[in-house]
Amino acid sequence: MTDLKREAWLLGRSRAALAALLLLFLCAAAGVGLGLATVARDTAAIDRMLAGQRTEDAALAGFVRDAGYGAYYGFQPTWDAPSDLAFAALGSRDIAPALLRVRALALEGQIYENEAANPELALPGRFDLAFVVVYLAPLVLIALLHDLWSGEREAGRLHALEATPSARRRIWAPRVAVRVGGVLVALLLPFAIGAAVAGTDPQRALAFAGLIALVCLFWTAVALLVARRGRTSAVNAASLAAIWFALTLVAPAAANLAINAAVAMPDGAALARENREDVHAGWDRPREATMQQFLALYPQHAAGSALPPTFHWKWYFAFQHLGDLHVAETSDAYRSGIARRAELARTTGWLLPPAGLAQAMAALAGTDVAAQLAYQQRIRAYHTRLREFYYDYLFSEKPFGAADLARVPHFDPAGSM
Amino acid sequence: MTRPFAMAGAIAGAELRLMLRSRLALVGVATLLLLSGIAAVTSAVQTASASATRAAAQAATDAQFQTQPDRHPHRMVHYGTYALRPVGPLAAFDSGVDAFTGTVLFLEGHRQNSATFGAARESSDLVRFGQLTPAFVLQTLAPLLLVFLGFAAVARERERGSLRALRSHGATAAGILAGKVLALGAVALLAMAPALVALLWSALRHPGEGGIAALIALAYAAYLLVWVIGITAVSALARTAQGALVALIAAWAIITVLVPRAAAGWAGVADPLPTRVDTEFAIAADLRRLGDSHNPDDKYFAAFKARILDRYGVTSTDDLPVNYRGLVAAEGERLTSELFANYAARADAIQRGQSARLQALGVISPALAVRQASMVGAATDLGTHLAFMNRAEAYRYDLIQRLNALQANQVSSADDGARSRDPLADQRTRISADFWKTMPQFHLAAPAPATRATAMLPALGLLGLWLAISALLLALARRTLDRTAE
Repeated sequence: MTDLKREAWLLGRSRAALAALLLLFLCAAAGVGLGLATVARDTAAIDRMLAGQRTEDAALAGFVRDAGYGAYYGFQPTWDAPSDLAFAALGSRDIAPALLRVRALALEGQIYENEAANPELALPGRFDLAFVVVYLAPLVLIALLHDLWSGEREAGRLHALEATPSARRRIWAPRVAVRVGGVLVALLLPFAIGAAVAGTDPQRALAFAGLIALVCLFWTAVALLVARRGRTSAVNAASLAAIWFALTLVAPAAANLAINAAVAMPDGAALARENREDVHAGWDRPREATMQQFLALYPQHAAGSALPPTFHWKWYFAFQHLGDLHVAETSDAYRSGIARRAELARTTGWLLPPAGLAQAMAALAGTDVAAQLAYQQRIRAYHTRLREFYYDYLFSEKPFGAADLARVPHFDPAGSM
Repeated sequence: MTRPFAMAGAIAGAELRLMLRSRLALVGVATLLLLSGIAAVTSAVQTASASATRAAAQAATDAQFQTQPDRHPHRMVHYGTYALRPVGPLAAFDSGVDAFTGTVLFLEGHRQNSATFGAARESSDLVRFGQLTPAFVLQTLAPLLLVFLGFAAVARERERGSLRALRSHGATAAGILAGKVLALGAVALLAMAPALVALLWSALRHPGEGGIAALIALAYAAYLLVWVIGITAVSALARTAQGALVALIAAWAIITVLVPRAAAGWAGVADPLPTRVDTEFAIAADLRRLGDSHNPDDKYFAAFKARILDRYGVTSTDDLPVNYRGLVAAEGERLTSELFANYAARADAIQRGQSARLQALGVISPALAVRQASMVGAATDLGTHLAFMNRAEAYRYDLIQRLNALQANQVSSADDGARSRDPLADQRTRISADFWKTMPQFHLAAPAPATRATAMLPALGLLGLWLAISALLLALARRTLDRTAE
């Protein structure tokens, strides 16, 4: 205990070390603050959407005449609520939409919409706690640990210190513990406050804290390995900064290039066009053929499938859905391409611990690419429920009025698929 | 007069020889050159392929529009078309925000869609660690290499006591510092070489971009010179080489990594942008206030009808020489598009305000300033993207109104009114496919180089300011060096 106290006192006497720890603490606090503010903004946007939806529903109730109107004009909200941990690792929530209103028309023309966002803000990446942990904390650890031995040697004290009985236990271990402890406190204290504010599930919070500790452990090990090699302080610092630089900036960027080159993606523009072509060709295809194709999928609606000689919504929505099916394979390939890239990135994470741990943080916070794909799957599942709800009305010719709008299925954010 | 220069040259030569003998320096420079080469080649290949894909997609969508069969014009309003954002002429050098914006925009009647299918959303999370482009190498990687190579330049001489020896050979503080700056500057020039070749290659493929490419190169030269001078000054001011290194790495992390991210986070929270749904709701509410073309008793459209009847001197829409439905469609589109334009202008202003905040923070981070100059020059910045969105919206409006005019003038009013009940009338409302071929095609050129050069001026001014700051720091170092030698 006295050894720890002495080391803490020594650390407290170094103005540079204190400044570094304070800066780290301030950055972590700012990251948590910005994260909480961003999550609050997202939550407020969802609340605004749900409140505004009531006005839209009332307006629709004013002119809805049949189920076709409800299906065509009735946009329904879906949303990807931020998790109780999202504030700590915002992940890709800034580039993928968290809100999307869909209607019963072909989904492929709707699901790729983007949120309004300034791309120049997305370009440098998010400033959140995960960024502070993955990018800045290692630099502080390097600054605190690179001259552990070389600093004493350059000051001419190393021999005397090494000669003290059980130097490792009495000097070096407490010294490392105090410095790493300082870094952990600077990171974990703001996180704990943020988790309390966000009401994070304790187990998830603990797991996230564990990831933070793992990042620190990894860099402590790297720093000690380099520091132990007995070079000068400057050489140690340069080598460690180079390692940090390679692992945190260069290798992930290169891996991203390689992964994108290795996994080809279907052309999104072609996918969208193909969908539009098929949907609009629906107007000119023989109507019986369209209905036959549709009934093959929904035989239960055969009884009510007879068409009048003029326009009918059931035919219109039938070819809308066929338009989705027409590109289902490409759309699937598009999704699995993204999933495959994410999977390769996770594999890369095992070779590049900083990238791997950053991914683990985003995964735990539900803000990674996998979470985005899962949200899209929830939208797809909901869209199916929405369509089928209207098919029942359209094919049975049941009257549909303002009162029926209340029966329209709602999106379940928790995501029963 | 020649003696100080000769001395500076000799010192620079000695410093460069020392670097040549140092394995660390050689490995660092070789790694940077290799990375830079990889970045230049992959970026060029990717940009060329993206450019070709988008041009082909634009041609395909234009061709599909023109070859549509005979149709009711309003069906073409819903069929719509696509605008693809062309790749900036120098995007192979700096892809800017390209990955973070959608590239494909669906243009249809009544609606304003967002640009979809951006590269970032098609990538793994790793894309957020940075994209390996020549611009990234120069903005982020090159300064750190210079830090590694230059932190000890003066501090080492002092620690070994060789500073005194140099002084006794007649070297002035200014001469020593000039020599070190020269040596590190030579390395910076070498580090810039592959990126400059990439820039030159881009400029050669796009004649007319030469001037702006030179301006971009100048911006990076100024940026790296700020680093070279700053590193030398810190090396002279620091008490030990280790102290200089730690301070410089901290400065590098703050300038190139911390501030750009923090600034973006701050700008996004300080000046938030309404979501798409916010805007949709606001537009819907405004429309309900203005007029609802669904509602036969709507006041606005009743007045509109009276105005039309009055203009043609008739008492019923059936007596109009044109198809009234087409006129209503055009008026409805005019109303919605006016709202789209208003809300888009507001959102654009907020985005430009956010980017202006980033730009202002170039005062504390030259990396922000050079990034801005580079993106604007390469036509891959926010402004160019907004120009695309606005140009596409103008094109959309024009196209839809041409189609509405076709409905008003080419589709008989009686047939149009009966088409949902009478299949034969429906047939007659289909107008010749030849009309689709008369529609203009979407085309967008990057902003003129002169316009971009003007837009680069604030960022270039900030870089000039940073050059002045680093020069002041060097002057301070010179005085300190002079004093310690006495």
